[in-house]
Amino acid sequence: MTVDTTEARPIPAADWVTIPDLYEDPYPIYQRLRAQAPIHWVPAVNRYLVIGYEACHAIELDQQRFSADEAQSLMKRSMGHSMLRKDDPEHDVERKAYGGVLRPKAIKQRWEAVFDRNYATYAARLRAAGPGADLVAEFAAPYAAENLRVVLGFSNATQQDLQRWSQTLIDGTGNYADDPQVWAAAERSSREVDEAVDEMLPALRAEPDGSLLSVLATSGMPLDSVRANLKMTIGGGLNEPRDALATTVWALLAHPGQLASVRSAGRWSDAFEESIRWVAPISMYPREATRDTELCGMAIPRGARLGVVVGAANRDPGVFADPDAYDVDRPRKPHLAFGGGNHFCAGAWIARASVVSIALPRLFAQFPGLRLAPSRPATIGGWVFRGVLSLPVHWD
Amino acid sequence: MPKVVFHHHGDTSTVVEADAGSNVMRAAVQNGVAGIVGECGGQAMCATCHVYVRESHLGALPPISEDEEEMLDCTAAPRDDRRSRLGCQLTLGEGLEEVEVDVPGAQL
Ligand code: HEM
Ligand code: FES
Repeated sequence: MTVDTTEARPIPAADWVTIPDLYEDPYPIYQRLRAQAPIHWVPAVNRYLVIGYEACHAIELDQQRFSADEAQSLMKRSMGHSMLRKDDPEHDVERKAYGGVLRPKAIKQRWEAVFDRNYATYAARLRAAGPGADLVAEFAAPYAAENLRVVLGFSNATQQDLQRWSQTLIDGTGNYADDPQVWAAAERSSREVDEAVDEMLPALRAEPDGSLLSVLATSGMPLDSVRANLKMTIGGGLNEPRDALATTVWALLAHPGQLASVRSAGRWSDAFEESIRWVAPISMYPREATRDTELCGMAIPRGARLGVVVGAANRDPGVFADPDAYDVDRPRKPHLAFGGGNHFCAGAWIARASVVSIALPRLFAQFPGLRLAPSRPATIGGWVFRGVLSLPVHWD
Repeated sequence: MPKVVFHHHGDTSTVVEADAGSNVMRAAVQNGVAGIVGECGGQAMCATCHVYVRESHLGALPPISEDEEEMLDCTAAPRDDRRSRLGCQLTLGEGLEEVEVDVPGAQL
């Protein structure tokens, strides 16, 4: 697998692929690409898109050949150099510094009660908005943002701040068009996060509270890295649980037979894992080839900028039968929505606790007759980050 | 070379050799052993490398760290109080030249 050869096939170019089309609906595009090859050069995104499951998985497990430390990374410009753009051993040092904050024991001892309280707050807000309300704006987004705010330790900010920071920093990370306004908004948020971090660190050193900032405050991590990692975690810890939650609710409401089975047996975990397989909240992340190499029989040049398209890998028909269908009963196989290998999502258990253990079962229990608004269909969009954008719902 | 025997449901088993310093999860993944996933690459973060270690090898195992302990409560197949371990935390070599494990029915 790691042998480099000179007989590899060349990689085809797909110059017909456009960003607006990917944003609208990437799945027919992946189907067309897949028929030809597992890797394509896509000029519109200036990357080699890797869409095959086997190829994506191989990249995740091989940081020697496929580095996360991309040159000219927009993420580094927008957020600073976080662990997500480092390889081991440097990555490992910072990941270890996160300690137990995002792990199951702390979730049980500390964060479950927080998610519980936040559920009650935003379920009340959804109810007050009344039937026809948008479940994303009234519930999923503020719930995810407030959960993250507390876990990270920003007692000097609001959930609205978290939402603004997250979106503008992410927009910077995806600012391929080099739009100066996008950079200006990202830079403003970056400064605001720096100020908030700088204010919290001494306070949390004096009075530790088990939050991420509190643990990093005494970890010896350099300030620049603390700031960069917080920005990355703000960008990576808000939209994803929000989108995973909204997409799961939407999928279940659109498949009443599956909803009945999930409800009666409490299969919320099946519903959630199948939903992030079906529509991966982070559908693409970058890697860079460290040398001329070969992947799935195709030649990759040194320095190649790769897009690991887990959103496509999760619909690889060689792994998942009838991959475009949402099916909670499909045989469980490892999906790649949380990534894999050393950058495997650090927040996977936080996402599961807040969405699977709390939000999903309670929403369906406490909003009887929850259903899609008949005249206002949900809107879905996004490429790198994809999910349900608005989800008008009714209940009895 | 250290050796790992994976016993599967039914009567089949897979025997693999691995370098000292490797671990039970990595030995499985590198050799395509069915039933071991190892999503997180060995950070005691995913619990998809769960194995039941056979009795005769229990004495040779390293102690269970705090990270492994909490993750053993997150396995897909039921935890066995004595025999359940995370494959990625069982480093091969020194003291663990050979180990036999049963592969659980589910990792996800
Ligand atoms: C369903 C929800 C989520 C999904 C689908 C998701 C997905 C991912 C993916 C695909 C990666 C790897 C990216 C790469 O390798 O380049 C990742 C990394 C990461 N995620 Fe998540 N994530 C979710 C929720 C969260 C939450 C709630 C948090 C924080 C509380 C979080 C924090 C992180 C961090 C810190 C990393 C970087 C890990 C590293 O570099 O070692 N994620 N996530
Ligand atoms: S490989 Fe993830 S816990 Fe062992």
